Amino acid sequence: MSEFERQHPIAAVSRAFGLIRGNFITILIFLFVGAQSDNFPFLWWIGGGFGLLLVLGIANWWRFLYKIEDGTLHIKSGIFVRKDLYLTKDRIQVIDITAGILQRMFGLVRLDIQTAGSSSRQAAIDAITRDKAAEVNRMLREVKSANDASESSGDADQEAISLQPETIKKIKLPAKELLIAASTSGSFGIALSIIATVFSQIEPLISESELFEYLFGLLPTQTDTMMIITVIAVFVVFAWLLSFFSTLFTYGNFQIDVKEKEIVVSRGIFEKKRITVPFNRIQAIHVTEGIIRQPLGYASVHLESAGYGDDKGTGSIVLYPLIRIQHLKTLLNDVVPDYDKEFSGSKPPSRSARRYIFRSAFLVTIITALLYWYLALNIWIWVLPIVSLFWGWKKYKDAAFGWDIDMLLMRNRRLSRSTAFIKKKRVQDAAVIQSPFQRMRDLATIQLFVASGDRGKSFQVRDLELEDARLLLQHLQKNGVPVEDETEPEVSGNYALPGWA
Amino acid sequence: MSEPSFHKITPRAIRVWQIGNFIGNLFFFGIPAAYAAVFGWSGFHFWILSISVTFIFIAWMLSIFLTPYLTWKNWRYAINEKEIELKHGVLIKTHTLIPLSRVQHVDTRQGPLLRWYNLSTVTISTAATTHEIPGLDTQLADRVRREISTYARLAEDDV
Repeated sequence: MSEFERQHPIAAVSRAFGLIRGNFITILIFLFVGAQSDNFPFLWWIGGGFGLLLVLGIANWWRFLYKIEDGTLHIKSGIFVRKDLYLTKDRIQVIDITAGILQRMFGLVRLDIQTAGSSSRQAAIDAITRDKAAEVNRMLREVKSANDASESSGDADQEAISLQPETIKKIKLPAKELLIAASTSGSFGIALSIIATVFSQIEPLISESELFEYLFGLLPTQTDTMMIITVIAVFVVFAWLLSFFSTLFTYGNFQIDVKEKEIVVSRGIFEKKRITVPFNRIQAIHVTEGIIRQPLGYASVHLESAGYGDDKGTGSIVLYPLIRIQHLKTLLNDVVPDYDKEFSGSKPPSRSARRYIFRSAFLVTIITALLYWYLALNIWIWVLPIVSLFWGWKKYKDAAFGWDIDMLLMRNRRLSRSTAFIKKKRVQDAAVIQSPFQRMRDLATIQLFVASGDRGKSFQVRDLELEDARLLLQHLQKNGVPVEDETEPEVSGNYALPGWA
Repeated sequence: MSEPSFHKITPRAIRVWQIGNFIGNLFFFGIPAAYAAVFGWSGFHFWILSISVTFIFIAWMLSIFLTPYLTWKNWRYAINEKEIELKHGVLIKTHTLIPLSRVQHVDTRQGPLLRWYNLSTVTISTAATTHEIPGLDTQLADRVRREISTYARLAEDDV
């Protein structure tokens, strides 16, 4: 493989699809706006657009060359601007293999070579036969493991290579959990916007046919309100179905393989994905209890990693899509034993409650008041500010942070309650922030950054007692570098966190 | 552990910010200018224009004569062998702690204005965030940069 090679021609098509997916929101907005005007030659635009993308895809495929020589992967790409990418063996963190629907139809896979830098996503070979992928993988790993066997290396293809470390544990997602995860998934909004777009396209067709009138003839009352409610209800049901199935397909066949040095998460029914995360790349673990899931006693678990970036450039990886709170400890203990801990912690003092409530309700109340008086809305609109008051209270109740010799816990709520576990030595920087109002009341906000994907991820808890916030900085100071015999600073914590039975 | 000694940044930075704001914030006068170009300045529009111009003028003056001074007054930094601490912010005060073992790279940079006053900005990057110590004397900035990189090298650790 010391000569330059092209990818499988299917790469051209998958590239075109990739472009569509990458610019999905733009396309949606474009279609949405376009559909408003009458003389919008809809099909013509779609066809032309797709044709253009295909041409781009083919050009990209033609100009994309790769070779491996002396353990260095060399990729040439770009239609007009030529890009030469060299990846040396010891920079490679993870090699991932994905098989999308398109690739699977032709027996191909997609190879993703991950480094801990931002250029990592460019080092991807879109379509390559299974055998070649295995060969690339072998060549890159061979040299790597020969040169520095101590570094943990990414593994990719399960069957091809015998160098595999043994799988210690396998954890699967039970069907019941999968169904609950799908039916409570939060990708509602996206689904709704997709449906709205589709509807805006079909609407002229329907309203001209008699179907529409027939349907409304079936309804008992035919007021405008009724119609609006019906339309919204139909939208919501469709959006729910869409998000249900998309979650089902994304997290079907979910499995975690715990190995000696790494975790392999594989998932997907149509598009199969395998993500390999070495343990020493985990930056933080966070548990999210969604607004619908929390009352049902369920949560999802994510991990932040430095090397791995998903499509959005964040390093968040779903470690487990849905788990009963009671089983959470067992899961953490099985997969990431370091993070299964109890903390002593502290909460914002009672005088910060009104700040939480005020922040939450202020804007909503003003907007509601304006709408109420100017648009003469129904009195029921005042439910919104009341809910927001309550929500502020919830936010206050849930905010907390905890500590331990080498780890921190930060919990807050936006819509869902999120609990983050961060090792002190993984904290990139920490800040205590005080606004003028907080200064008046001796309160402060703490904010921590951990590395995650290309950018970092921040975790914050607001309106803590200034003393507590200072204490946290002191904790971190002592753990900036490993210290041998430091005694623990005084703790004022009197709450047991995370408080999962 | 002894309380780290905090340093102020070089007072010449105030002058640089003053000039920077003097030029940079002129841009905001473009907004009423554009408004006037579109709607004219007769009657009702005149009042909108004069009020907005007054506000922009006051803000502009403050940004020249007051905020650079306050910014300077509130800036503190401390560097020792374990961490970097930054304190800044006029209204919203931020106290940042960066463990040196997390520092990925440090560089100094200099625009034309800063160069004229022989100042540099030190930029400290971690795997997640980037922080700046603005307006340090160039020699001092170089020393700070060297200091950080020496300490950072001592504290070898993975990401």
